[in-house]
Amino acid sequence: MSTQSGEIAVDVKSLAKFYGAHQVLFDVSLSVAAGEKIVICGPSGSGKSTFIRCLNKLEDHQAGTIRMLGTELNEDLANINEIRRDVGMVFQHFNLFPHLTVLENCVLAPMLVRRQDRKAAEEQAMLYLERVKIPQKAGSYPGELSGGQQQRVAIARALCMRPEIMLFDEPTSALDPEMISEVLDVMIELAQDGMTMLCVTHEMGFARKVADRVVFMDKGRIVEEAAPSDFFDNPRHERSKLFLSQILGH
Amino acid sequence: MSNVAIVSGEIPPPRHDTFLAAVRKGYFATPGAAAVTSVCLALIALAVWTVFRWAVLDAVWSSGGPDMCQQATGACWAVIAARWRLIFFGLYPYDEQWRSALACAAILATVVVSCFPFSWSAKRLPLVWIAGYGVFYGLMRGGFLGLPTVLETQWGGLSLTLFVFSTVVVTGMPIAVCLALLRRSRLPVIARTVAVLIDGIRSLPLVAILFTAAIIIPYALPHFLVGDKLYRVIAGFSLFFAVYQAEIIRGGMQALPAGQEEAAHALGLNYWQTMSRIVLPQAFRHALPPTINQVVITFMETSLIVIIGFFEVMASGNAAFSTAEWSATYVEVYVFVAAIYFAFTFTLSRYGAYLERRLNVARH
Repeated sequence: MSTQSGEIAVDVKSLAKFYGAHQVLFDVSLSVAAGEKIVICGPSGSGKSTFIRCLNKLEDHQAGTIRMLGTELNEDLANINEIRRDVGMVFQHFNLFPHLTVLENCVLAPMLVRRQDRKAAEEQAMLYLERVKIPQKAGSYPGELSGGQQQRVAIARALCMRPEIMLFDEPTSALDPEMISEVLDVMIELAQDGMTMLCVTHEMGFARKVADRVVFMDKGRIVEEAAPSDFFDNPRHERSKLFLSQILGH
Repeated sequence: MSNVAIVSGEIPPPRHDTFLAAVRKGYFATPGAAAVTSVCLALIALAVWTVFRWAVLDAVWSSGGPDMCQQATGACWAVIAARWRLIFFGLYPYDEQWRSALACAAILATVVVSCFPFSWSAKRLPLVWIAGYGVFYGLMRGGFLGLPTVLETQWGGLSLTLFVFSTVVVTGMPIAVCLALLRRSRLPVIARTVAVLIDGIRSLPLVAILFTAAIIIPYALPHFLVGDKLYRVIAGFSLFFAVYQAEIIRGGMQALPAGQEEAAHALGLNYWQTMSRIVLPQAFRHALPPTINQVVITFMETSLIVIIGFFEVMASGNAAFSTAEWSATYVEVYVFVAAIYFAFTFTLSRYGAYLERRLNVARH
């Protein structure tokens, strides 16, 4: 599966999501072209993490359609694992496998899911570990790394599957302030290489620098969707203005 | 040097007390403490001396017979020298007991080999156990190459204890993993059924399960399914072990953050890959101390099969002093049997401690 620039990578129509009787996403529609970088922001509880987790079916949705790389997400398990191969995800809490070394974390899925042999998988893993500037830690366990290093390994681990799309769920929120930039630098480089990216983040500097569009969510709905310059300089909605004044105000 | 220390704010590290100073501070600080310490020391010394005099100084060693023992005031180790083959091999035919000894060694070797990390693979471990059991069964049962057949009812002593124990653990562990996974099933019918099964079996005493397996099952099953009593008892025992171990493993799984499974799914790993590579290895690490505990308890509980008429090491011990000439030597025999149990369980707990250290290195 490969996408050309300009093709639709992610196509979400009228998505609705419930936890029991409680609705958390209302009529969310979003279309992302291959190569586009989307930053999703909004106050906590706005549904932005839930939304991005629906895109690789870590959460089930109850209404609407999600098409990833042209394939619709439905109840079929084989289909969902096919999609997940091509959609990488980076989590707020890294979620590295603590019982495996950095290198083993990176080769596990390529070997099991992509059926690569160990040698090829390890060579590829070292390539990506170099790209996130941490090859010297290949033999270490995640518990021996700092938060920023762990998150960079998590990005390399996702990249080792050679995904078409990368999802980032608040990748810097659990980091100490001095480690945020090392992770953002890696993400910026990835963006410059043309990766299709959807990032839930509050890093507005990052959004300004790399985003093609900023999506602002509140109370389970997309409130505003605009180019970063428009969004930051001329937010149209009261709710966006309030949000921006709160996070940029100090 | 002192100037430097003052400038940088460093002070010399606090000095540790010498051994004598620490003892004085800890145990002889006040006259009351000194008195308590002295009394306790005297009692310990008395106890050690009494045991030492009984077990060593006044003891009758291997050369003595029952008559010498009756005159002596110390332990009568002669009973062990005279009856050790009964304790180790039970009712196994006397001339064939070398087979039982070899079989015992085979099971021990199998256990030891499978305890080393290099055998921990899904291919090697089953091979090791199939080979180990093959050798054990061939030697014990015989019936080929001129070896007379010895039926399971005649097996006994330490070989039987080790066979029952290792089989219960080796077959119970996979069942436990299955039960633990099924209890976490997303299908409520399966999860609840397994929960009821686990709680149901846990509410029964082991003795009742062993009796059921030995005596009631033959009435309930068609004849060709019944099998030898020994294997029915082992099956019942395995199930009992498995339900407890399943809860231990489930506890280990619950200690994992939800993000571990999510990360595995997000990488495209399927259910089995996620369980076998991510969830279970970590769950076992979390569950290691209670698992070792459960295994040690199971070793002790193998002595319960005596009530169905099996002569495992405890029962053989009882038999060793049940003749008129040795009837006064039950303490010595029990001490000896206790030493056998101690050797095995102590080794098991030390192995558990080694595993914890080893796995902690990989976790930090």
